[in-house]
Amino acid sequence: MNIRYLLTFLLVFVFISCEKVVDVDVPSTDPKLIIDAAFEVYFDENPVTTNTVVKLRLSADYFETQIPIVTNATVFLTDLSNNNIIDFSDSNLDGDYEPINAFIPADNTIYELTVIYDNQVYKGTASKMKSPTFTSVVQGDETLFSGNETELKVAFKDDINEENYYLFDFTNNLFLAIEDRFFNGADYNFSFFYDEEELKVPTAVKIKMSGITKEYYTYFRVLIDQSGQNAGGPFETVPSSLLGNMVNTTNTDNFPLGYFHISETDTFTIFLEDKN
Amino acid sequence: MSLKKFAIVSLLLLSSYVFSQEKITLSGTVYDNSTNETLIGVSIYFPDLKSGTTTNEYGFYSITIPKGTYTIQISYLGYTTIVKEIVLNEKQNQDFKLLEETESLDEIIIESDIEKLNVKTPQMSVNKLSASTIKQIPVVLGESDIIKSIILLPGVTSAGEGASGFNVRGGAADQNLILLDEAIVFNSSHLFGFFSVFNPDVIKDVKLYKGGIPARFGGRLSSVLDIYQKEGNSKNFKITGGIGLVSSRLLAEGPIEKEKSSFLIGGRASYAHLFLPLFDNDNSAYFYDLNTKINFRLTEKNNLFFSGYFGKDVFGISDNFINTYGNTVANLRWNHLFSDKLFSNLSLIYSDYFYGLTLDFVGFEWDSGITNFNLKYDFKHYLNDKFTLNYGINNIYIKFNPGEIIPNRPDSGIQPEKLIDKYANEFAAYVDAEHQVNNKLTFQYGIRFSNFTRLGQDELNVYANNEAVIYNQQLKKYESAIATGVENFKRSDVLANFSNFEPRFSLSYLLDDNTSIKMSYNRMAQYLHLLSNTASPTPLDVWAPSGRFIKPQLLDQYALGYFKSIKNGDYSLETEVFYKDIQNRIDYINGANLIANNEIETVILNGRARAYGLEVLLKKNEGSLTGWLAYTLSRSEQQTLGRNANEPGINQGEWYSTPFDKTHDLSINGSYQLNKKWTFNANFLFQTGQPTNYPVGQYEVQGLNVPIFDDNRRNADRLPAYHRLDISATLTPRKNKNRKWQAEWVFGIYNLYGRMNAAAINFRQNRETLRNEAIQTSIFGIVPAITYNFKF
Repeated sequence: MNIRYLLTFLLVFVFISCEKVVDVDVPSTDPKLIIDAAFEVYFDENPVTTNTVVKLRLSADYFETQIPIVTNATVFLTDLSNNNIIDFSDSNLDGDYEPINAFIPADNTIYELTVIYDNQVYKGTASKMKSPTFTSVVQGDETLFSGNETELKVAFKDDINEENYYLFDFTNNLFLAIEDRFFNGADYNFSFFYDEEELKVPTAVKIKMSGITKEYYTYFRVLIDQSGQNAGGPFETVPSSLLGNMVNTTNTDNFPLGYFHISETDTFTIFLEDKN
Repeated sequence: MSLKKFAIVSLLLLSSYVFSQEKITLSGTVYDNSTNETLIGVSIYFPDLKSGTTTNEYGFYSITIPKGTYTIQISYLGYTTIVKEIVLNEKQNQDFKLLEETESLDEIIIESDIEKLNVKTPQMSVNKLSASTIKQIPVVLGESDIIKSIILLPGVTSAGEGASGFNVRGGAADQNLILLDEAIVFNSSHLFGFFSVFNPDVIKDVKLYKGGIPARFGGRLSSVLDIYQKEGNSKNFKITGGIGLVSSRLLAEGPIEKEKSSFLIGGRASYAHLFLPLFDNDNSAYFYDLNTKINFRLTEKNNLFFSGYFGKDVFGISDNFINTYGNTVANLRWNHLFSDKLFSNLSLIYSDYFYGLTLDFVGFEWDSGITNFNLKYDFKHYLNDKFTLNYGINNIYIKFNPGEIIPNRPDSGIQPEKLIDKYANEFAAYVDAEHQVNNKLTFQYGIRFSNFTRLGQDELNVYANNEAVIYNQQLKKYESAIATGVENFKRSDVLANFSNFEPRFSLSYLLDDNTSIKMSYNRMAQYLHLLSNTASPTPLDVWAPSGRFIKPQLLDQYALGYFKSIKNGDYSLETEVFYKDIQNRIDYINGANLIANNEIETVILNGRARAYGLEVLLKKNEGSLTGWLAYTLSRSEQQTLGRNANEPGINQGEWYSTPFDKTHDLSINGSYQLNKKWTFNANFLFQTGQPTNYPVGQYEVQGLNVPIFDDNRRNADRLPAYHRLDISATLTPRKNKNRKWQAEWVFGIYNLYGRMNAAAINFRQNRETLRNEAIQTSIFGIVPAITYNFKF
């Protein structure tokens, strides 16, 4: 939970403050390759399914309405335990590369993702992170600030034997990254609140819990912060570049953005009523 | 100047003045006639000798001059000057009681440097404000405020509304030493910086040192805000109070034993729920503070003071979110006169800052804070009319609680965790001389020795090569190192030890009776660091001590000034240039998380800072229209180099603006007394916008639209300029005359033309249109206010 966000919330709502959209001239920079490859293995489903899409995009000026897609890259995955190669292709020409032959990432295996684009070779590695399943997901009756939020109560059991990091996807681009530092091995429960602007109830939502690496946790925490979805105001951290784990092996200075990560993911679909 | 040389020069100067003959000493205390409150900074002047002194923080003065009959002139702004003949044949104790010029509440007193002595004194870069000036300055919601007032002075800025603290000469908010009755106050703000923690009714005297800081102060680099509370009226029981839109104040003071001892108790509280009626939840947001003081005039030579301050802020959003923070200060002081020339003050001080947070929906409580015990023994030795020596020692024991997490309900699943407490001891000894060489040249020089010992803590991480931060060459980023082990210590162990000699030097040279030039140099050491990587500090930021991984901040400041009193003091002009160089200013690696971080050393990079600028202060001190114009042109920068050639540091090792770099800072304050009934006041402020970071691009990851920030242009953009105009009018009803109940109304409008000043500009995607937007947050538009003040 981002405490600064709460402070900002107070600042904005407690005082006679206002937010307005302003025109700003922003600087520009050369486009960078974006490699968005967060593989999810839905391990609790039978049969097990996966999401193994590698999205390739280019960065754009901040106020551009279109984000360019990359369709002419070569993408493949190497299983470093046996050097088997899994080829990816963008059959729809939408910048989303999928394995030609569906595959399920194995346990305890390091995979190397290679992207060749514009005569430059980008590489990064990942291996699958374990995740528990939800013990329960229910709608609550509480509200947070405005009295119009919808409460979602989430519970799961943390593994006592290791440091765990989790990424929750509450749909509508609402993410939460947490670590088990304060609840190692516990039956942990917490509440997530949907603001009325973020989610119109009644509706069904599909939420996801993924086990993630410490590095991805650090990365995603900043990503959420910088996306501005739950921050802003004077208490925001001084923004800085956010580098992932992909390296441009041809020219390290022309670094890409994005991340290559493989997680086990549990999903839960719940129908949320309008209780207010 | 090398230390040795410095010591020799000091000795020479000393020896030539210690052995003076045929002189006698006049000493005493200066009081306010009606309240018996001692007065600080009263000028005691002998026009025949062109020599004089001023009263110290406890109203005491002492001067040693040749025997003879002289005219003595005791003057203090806002009080009727006493001029009388005095025969000095033998040493003499003489107290003075000054009469206030008018008894009305709305009297305007603007302390200024119009007395000749002030042009002469080498102390430069200092601004004084009296409580009555502060009360006149129009402020948001009608709450008079010390910090909001000092921001109108040259060289002082704040990040604007919604920012705690203030910045002096391009220094950070954690570099201000804020003293309330000599006790260190860690947090100066209520409600995120909207109000300061100092109740204006209780304040006697406020002095802000921006440079040339005397050796008796230390521990912070940029400024000293030295605040003294009133002692309490020892003649009559009095009540003062005020009712405002945000808070109400009440102050009771009176004698315990007439003219011997007095008490003062003052309280201030904001109205709970004030800003939150819009929500139907059980919400609250309020602050309160309590000031107390008791003083006993035991004998002619002994005074005892006890003072206390307690302040707290509470925000509660139903039971889900409760945020509490505040300061506690308690102080016992003993003034003792060893002789008519040697004044001493012994202080025993406790001070703490507490921050607490309960987040029920996550299931925890969070506490953090800092506690210190301070023993101070200060001496002021009035050797003769040309030479005064200040010396003393100071020892502070500090305990840091970086945080503790506690489950707040049985089913929370949160496990308690205590971040490792840290302990330190800061010792200092100083000697400082005020030395008038001749009628034109006066020196003030001194040296402070400071020693900081980081004491043993339960656990301390060990890192490979002693590097807590590593640079990942492949990924081109700084990362936290993983500890290779843990060392355990006893409390008496020493983890790190730092010593610094801090020379201070200033001089003034009188060009003519009304004009002087002044020069100063000071070196200072600061062993504490406030961990903050947001655009403006927040109440939850924690303090960290220097140690194995964080080095003490060291400052060298040079200042040069030209001071002129025009038309016999009706106007005054003060101009100064300054240059500051700070070593060991910390910055943070990208994405650093400072909250609840037990390994703070793994996100810190060591850098330096510098600031330089020009300040102009033009004042009009007399007449029905008074006020000032303050302008500052300055630059404040930071540099964090890589530790070796393979590392880029921050901003590629180039200098970058600090978040509080304001190129232009202009403030105009005017007060016009129309008649006995009406006084009008106005402020205008203009500041260059705060440095900020605009994105150079955008991309999408996992459906999130994310701005790209370029590490090569840190703080390279600017928020729009900040400016606003405030006005106020004070109405003193005619009925006040000849009655006990004195009252006044203050009407004010803050931000008269409704400028929506940017507190921040953030970038995000609009959820509905999916277009990227720049969102400006503004705090206050136009805000009217009304306050009713009374005393009886």
